[in-house]
Amino acid sequence: MTIKEQLIENAKQGKVLAHKCTNCGLLHLSTVYFCQKCGSKGFEDVILDGTGSVATYTIITVAPAGFEKYTPYAFVVLQLDNTNLRISGFMAGIATPADLPVGTRAKITGFDERGMIIEKQ
Amino acid sequence: MEKVCVLGAGSTKYGKLPDSIADITTQASISAIESAEIDPKEIKAGYISNVFGVADKQVHLGPVLMSNLGISDKPSLSIESACGSGSVAFREAFANVAAGFYDCLVVTGVEKVTHTGTEWTTTYFAYCSDFFYEGQAGASFPGLFASMARAYLTEFNTTEEDFARVAVKNHNNGLLNPKAHLQKKITIDDVMNSAVVASPLKLYDCCPFSDGASSVILCSEKFAKEHGNDYIEVIGSGRGGSPAALQGREHMTTIPSTKIASEAAYKMAGITAKDVDFAEVHDCFTIAEIVDTEDLGFFEKGKGVQAVREGRTDLNSDISINPSGGLKSKGHPIGATGIGQVVEVFDQLTGKAGARTVKDAKIGLTHNFGATGASCAVHVFQSV
Repeated sequence: MTIKEQLIENAKQGKVLAHKCTNCGLLHLSTVYFCQKCGSKGFEDVILDGTGSVATYTIITVAPAGFEKYTPYAFVVLQLDNTNLRISGFMAGIATPADLPVGTRAKITGFDERGMIIEKQ
Repeated sequence: MEKVCVLGAGSTKYGKLPDSIADITTQASISAIESAEIDPKEIKAGYISNVFGVADKQVHLGPVLMSNLGISDKPSLSIESACGSGSVAFREAFANVAAGFYDCLVVTGVEKVTHTGTEWTTTYFAYCSDFFYEGQAGASFPGLFASMARAYLTEFNTTEEDFARVAVKNHNNGLLNPKAHLQKKITIDDVMNSAVVASPLKLYDCCPFSDGASSVILCSEKFAKEHGNDYIEVIGSGRGGSPAALQGREHMTTIPSTKIASEAAYKMAGITAKDVDFAEVHDCFTIAEIVDTEDLGFFEKGKGVQAVREGRTDLNSDISINPSGGLKSKGHPIGATGIGQVVEVFDQLTGKAGARTVKDAKIGLTHNFGATGASCAVHVFQSV
């Protein structure tokens, strides 16, 4: 499996496949191949719980093709618990900002044609 | 390094244009050539910036332009860096003149998309994001900037009305620009009552999809002096990058590439942000202008909204931001925008800006980025 396929399989289990630099320890999403801080190529896999809080988001009413049937929905940037990492994805059923204050607890629950799927916890 | 100058500049009107992408590319280039009063045969190469030529059945625009100018033997190339294509092409052209490879270039940006409709443009523009994480998850470009806007509202003492003030200001400036796409006076209420596109951004927080082409003649100082026309000097050029996806950035209310590019441009020019008299900045959405003016060093982080509230970015105030009307009012033909900003600076610094002239301006800046600022170029110009 490619790294992206592994990331997707983990997401389907509610997990996030991350890469930890074996030289300096900095954590990256697994789609990064060289350490942003020290340039090292050595990484070890770390499987994170896909839980966190909403760092920021938007509610989309004018959608790209294929997403019209889901409007309104949220595009969410999720701050993963106990890490420096954020990951973004699709959240269904959000109509107004009152539905999703910044800081709301949320988690990765899957991956499909809408990319990474995030739901409220 | 050779000194590099802009000897001529011209644009088509921005808006919904009937002519083909090849035609408007040629029209803008001819207006730049006429502005510079040069013979096309003096041009050594053509630099084209464009993103969606495929939408009007014409990619590989360079040779078409060069053929139309009667210089089909001259080399050309096309550059794509999303909405930052124009400034990136300008930078590459600048580097080649500065290095002495060429003494005269035509640099033309163009886009032609309005015939495709809102769904096509919304969909295809999203391909400029980090698609695996963003576009694939339903993020549109308004949605990505709306995510920055939500973060800004959360972090700083700001309201949606503050964002609306940027749109009102830029429409006021655009009313003075005959080539602007949206020539319409608007109020804060108009913005607040317009349809939500991606919360918290509404239709009037967003720049329009535009057709248009802009072109400049870039040359060595020696070439400019020999021709005797009005010209301006490029005194600073900087580029920078940011993580392609918003999720990779330390702060959601800062665009790192703007800081990197502007610091490099200021250093080359030997100036600081305080020395800039006016700036054409990348206001694809109202939130973007606020973030830009902070990242460029004009205001402290979080203070950009206060400056807008106090009118400090209005035409002929502390620092005139987007005297042309910006992307918001002048329009945003994405491949042309970065060159169009240089056209505005040229017109301002050579006394051709009419009713929107920034008084006593000596130093102008252009700031243009691709996507959510994943790629960025900043240039500083000085009157001669």
